[in-house]
Amino acid sequence: MDLVDFARGPALKVAFVIFFIGVVWRLVNVLLLRHKRNLSEPRRSVGASVWGGLKAMGSRSWPHPEFIKRTITGEALGYSYHIGLFIVILLFAPHIIFFGSFIGMRWPALPNGLVTIFAVITVTLFVAVLFRRLAHPVLRRLSNFDDFFSWFVVALLLVTGLMATAHVGAPYPTILGLHILSFDLLLIWYPFGKLMHAFYIFPTRAVDGYLLTRKGAPS
Amino acid sequence: MNRSSVEFHANLATGEAALGEQQRVAGAMRAFTREIGALSALRLESCVHCGMCADACHFYIATEDPQYTPVLKVEPFKQAFKREAGAFAPFFRWFALKPQVTADELERWQHLLFDSCNMCGRCSLICPMGIDVAELIEQARRGLFEAGLAPKELYEKAAHQRRTGQPEDSSEPYRDRLLAIGRQFKVEMPIDKPQAEVMLTVPRTDIEHYPAAVAALARVMAHLKADCTFRSDGLIAENYGYYAGGRAWQREISLRLIEQARACKAKVLIVPECGHAYSALRWEAAELIGKPLPFKVRHITEYLAEALDGGRLKLRSADLGVTAFHDPCQLVRKGGVTSAPRRLLHAMGIEPRETTRHIGFNVCCGGGGGVLDIERAAPLRHRVVEEKFHEIDATGARTFLTSCSDCRRTFDDGKQHFNWQQTPRSLLELVAEHLQGG
Amino acid sequence: MARPELQPTIGELLDRQGVSRRSFVKYCTAMASLLALPPHAARAMAEQLRAARRPSVIYLSFQECTGCLESLTRSFAPTIENLIFNVVSLDYDDTLMAAAGSQAEEAREQAMRANYGKYLLVVDGAVPTGDGGVYHCAAGRTGLDILTDCAKGAAAIVCVGTCASFGGLPFADPNPTGARAISTLVPGKPVVNVSGCPPIPEVIAGTLLQYVTSGRVPDLDEHLRPTVFFGNSIHDRCYRRPFYDQGKFAKTFDDEGARNGWCLYELGCKGPTTYNACATIKWNNAVSFPIQSGHPCLGCAEPDFWDRGSFYSPIPSPRWGKAGEVSPAQAAAIAAGAAVAGAAIGVGSVLLGRRRIERHQQEPKSQSGKGNEE
Ligand code: HEM
Ligand code: HEM
Ligand code: SF4
Ligand code: SF4
Ligand code: SF4
Repeated sequence: MDLVDFARGPALKVAFVIFFIGVVWRLVNVLLLRHKRNLSEPRRSVGASVWGGLKAMGSRSWPHPEFIKRTITGEALGYSYHIGLFIVILLFAPHIIFFGSFIGMRWPALPNGLVTIFAVITVTLFVAVLFRRLAHPVLRRLSNFDDFFSWFVVALLLVTGLMATAHVGAPYPTILGLHILSFDLLLIWYPFGKLMHAFYIFPTRAVDGYLLTRKGAPS
Repeated sequence: MNRSSVEFHANLATGEAALGEQQRVAGAMRAFTREIGALSALRLESCVHCGMCADACHFYIATEDPQYTPVLKVEPFKQAFKREAGAFAPFFRWFALKPQVTADELERWQHLLFDSCNMCGRCSLICPMGIDVAELIEQARRGLFEAGLAPKELYEKAAHQRRTGQPEDSSEPYRDRLLAIGRQFKVEMPIDKPQAEVMLTVPRTDIEHYPAAVAALARVMAHLKADCTFRSDGLIAENYGYYAGGRAWQREISLRLIEQARACKAKVLIVPECGHAYSALRWEAAELIGKPLPFKVRHITEYLAEALDGGRLKLRSADLGVTAFHDPCQLVRKGGVTSAPRRLLHAMGIEPRETTRHIGFNVCCGGGGGVLDIERAAPLRHRVVEEKFHEIDATGARTFLTSCSDCRRTFDDGKQHFNWQQTPRSLLELVAEHLQGG
Repeated sequence: MARPELQPTIGELLDRQGVSRRSFVKYCTAMASLLALPPHAARAMAEQLRAARRPSVIYLSFQECTGCLESLTRSFAPTIENLIFNVVSLDYDDTLMAAAGSQAEEAREQAMRANYGKYLLVVDGAVPTGDGGVYHCAAGRTGLDILTDCAKGAAAIVCVGTCASFGGLPFADPNPTGARAISTLVPGKPVVNVSGCPPIPEVIAGTLLQYVTSGRVPDLDEHLRPTVFFGNSIHDRCYRRPFYDQGKFAKTFDDEGARNGWCLYELGCKGPTTYNACATIKWNNAVSFPIQSGHPCLGCAEPDFWDRGSFYSPIPSPRWGKAGEVSPAQAAAIAAGAAVAGAAIGVGSVLLGRRRIERHQQEPKSQSGKGNEE
């Protein structure tokens, strides 16, 4: 069994299982902790508050105008690399075949050449993200192992993916093997680090949107 | 913050020796773990360390000092969560991925949790993950309180208020002071009626510094012919237990007011111009006592705006020139009293010239949440209020209003420090001066 | 005992057979271009070859289908490939040689003795090692025994075909005979793998020729294949590559895309992971190659190609173990199982966490906490 077969076979399976165990474990652990009842007289109805929660899920995707001036760099970077990641991960033909085979469907892809260009841009942005994290006093102060390792895992995928398409470093199957291994690593690391944010972001926004709306406060 | 500047106060209430390090940690852990629930866990788990909350916090904006990043202020709480009740808590313990918080760290965090946070909730509005950081900070304060590390001023006042109902000794009891104010301003102070529709409370800040505001409250209520009363045993609106992070004390202090309101069968409890008092009573009291309150809690501006809508209140127009209004964070941003102050202004023909950031997003005065009482925090607070002064100056306003006496005090204090031109005025006083047919 | 110097030079041999210098140079030019040598090298090569003495070659066949040899001998244009037989002295090949039985074995032994340390061993097929090697016996000896014996005096071993190179079909799961690739059985011997099922005849010939010309093992890739022929993937040289880059894929064998000659990636083409010369040298005298004929590359020149799921499932199909592709139902079942396990662990960890919380509540109260009892 060579590297690719290992990475795409047993390693992938183990990573897949760890991913699901970890994600559910972590979510259940949050969900089943003590729940507090809200006893104060609400300002807005339950319906309005729920709607407020739903709205916050979307509206927090862009800062309130008051904040834009100070956060625009972070927002711009954040948006660009997430869009880049989205395109590269979900609109690349090989990736569609791969992810599609888990759910039994495929969806239209972007031309591979175009995706490669996006991938190059995304890698560049990702490097900028790292530099910003190292240079910005607040980010440097906040950062811990999780921040750097999560960055590294995603960056590794981007770099090995590009190396595979560009045929540099080692023969294609070797790089592809590393690429898939990096993906296995991503799956394994996912539940343990900040990448979980993709699962937390909407519940957190919704809950706080609900609670703030309940008070009639801006959210 | 070096050790010597941290005030140890554990002996103040009881006369006992200061806490040992171990006791401090145990106390903090007890409080932190008690604060862990699904909601706080979700918030603590979600943070992606994007750093945006710093850009919302006036303490960071004014200083550009990264230690004031809001989410950093909750680090000890987060640490406790990860080690004790997070999904991977055992791993965090076994491999010391997150070390147990130390007494030293707790001491250092005193500055971050108390001196440099108004619990204003601005950070909660910027977070792209939707984390209510301010609420986490409030919870983290409770840990420091039980570690015996609430700042001396707050702790003393909380202890005093819990024992006596008022946060500090006064030459004469506040009840008498209240009646004296009534005599001074020639307005009747309804007090200790056995039964009343509305129970009134008063900020200690107003009693001490702004008696006219106290008189204005009585005058407006009289004008409305409201069946209302102050209660000697539940007079003071502020809750120093809330500031200090003493959960049980906060509860006891609230309970004092609640019992008085119950005793006089009040249907409404009026919180005067004090923002944090509003948060404590309107949004936290019921949760702390574990059942809904048998009366409604209203801020005075809300109450007056309702009267305005009901036609019971009519106001003359006021000619104040260009006017700016400061939204107190606890009322507006966190409290949801967004439109009432402006409806009152409108009724007096005032369309405020808004600061660049307003309503839910205004920059704080920097004094709320007890910061005003912490002496050593003054230099930091001044930098924050300076920021606010620039904003107000930029509106070109001649008159500057607010509806929280703590904000007002903070501005006055800053005014002295910076020789600022403006004088903050009370919206309530303004209303009292413009009652139609009154 | 035949002495090596008795072998005539290749030039003498060619003259004797009436092959003109001109046509030999032409042959060498063709070869040089296959080997990616500059044009002027062809003449030098021709001279070198003419002066060289034909090396003795022993050709062993084990678990194989003879397709590889067929590939070599049944080529359309006999000139290039068949000329190879003028360049080497094929002293033993039990498929091709007229002699049989002990006569044949004697020929082999004699050639080995005469050219000890110099002869080239060409192997075709994998060697079964299971059950004492009983699955392949000739002249009363096991294949492994024969191989070991013949390898001893060989200057180098050239494995022709994927079975010899990587085990191939006999090696495929569950490999009942314990078949193994030659390179794993001849420790210390230089091995050149000319993989493919079958290999391109020009590639076999070219590899041998290069060895004869230079007298040494050519540059090899990590699978011991000559880089001149195996340096590029099919995908790199595929004329359908522009369609791949544009994202134009045939989805079925009879759709619009297939008729328009679009990329066969989604139909299972293994071109991207397959290193071979099909896309450049092509087959049947450069007439065509599978992709040109509308069929995806099977990846036959790569190790384990039989065990990589269906020939028609695209490369990036996740495969869990050798059993084949993941089905959505299977993935869902595994995910659900993992989720249930995760939920169970989650419940456990919450209980643990709640106990820790309780324990912290019990810790002795500090003074400042006095009055905290509710
Ligand atoms: C539901 C989809 C997702 C949403 C809404 C989302 C949202 C966010 C937000 C709001 C941030 C912080 C913003 C900032 O730092 O500028 C963030 C950071 C990040 N996200 Fe996502 N994300 C999603 C999915 C993903 C996925 C699938 C990945 C990677 C595989 C990813 C990788 C990252 C990384 C690495 C960071 C941190 C970058 C850094 O500052 O170092 N995100 N995400
Ligand atoms: C975070 C980003 C990425 C993720 C999560 C990801 C994930 C994957 C996965 C799971 C596969 C399937 C492997 C297989 O079974 O063949 C794959 C294949 C591949 N990826 Fe990525 N990848 C990422 C970025 C990239 C980038 C930036 C490129 C370059 C454009 C790239 C190029 C490829 C290629 C060429 C394949 C091989 C498909 C094949 O075997 O033909 N990937 N990737
Ligand atoms: S609540 Fe207000 S003062 Fe406190 S950290 Fe957040 S923004 Fe800063
Ligand atoms: S803004 Fe929210 S996610 Fe970003 S660092 Fe602050 S708390 Fe964390
Ligand atoms: S047909 Fe195969 S080799 Fe050709 S471009 Fe498509 S995937 Fe690559």
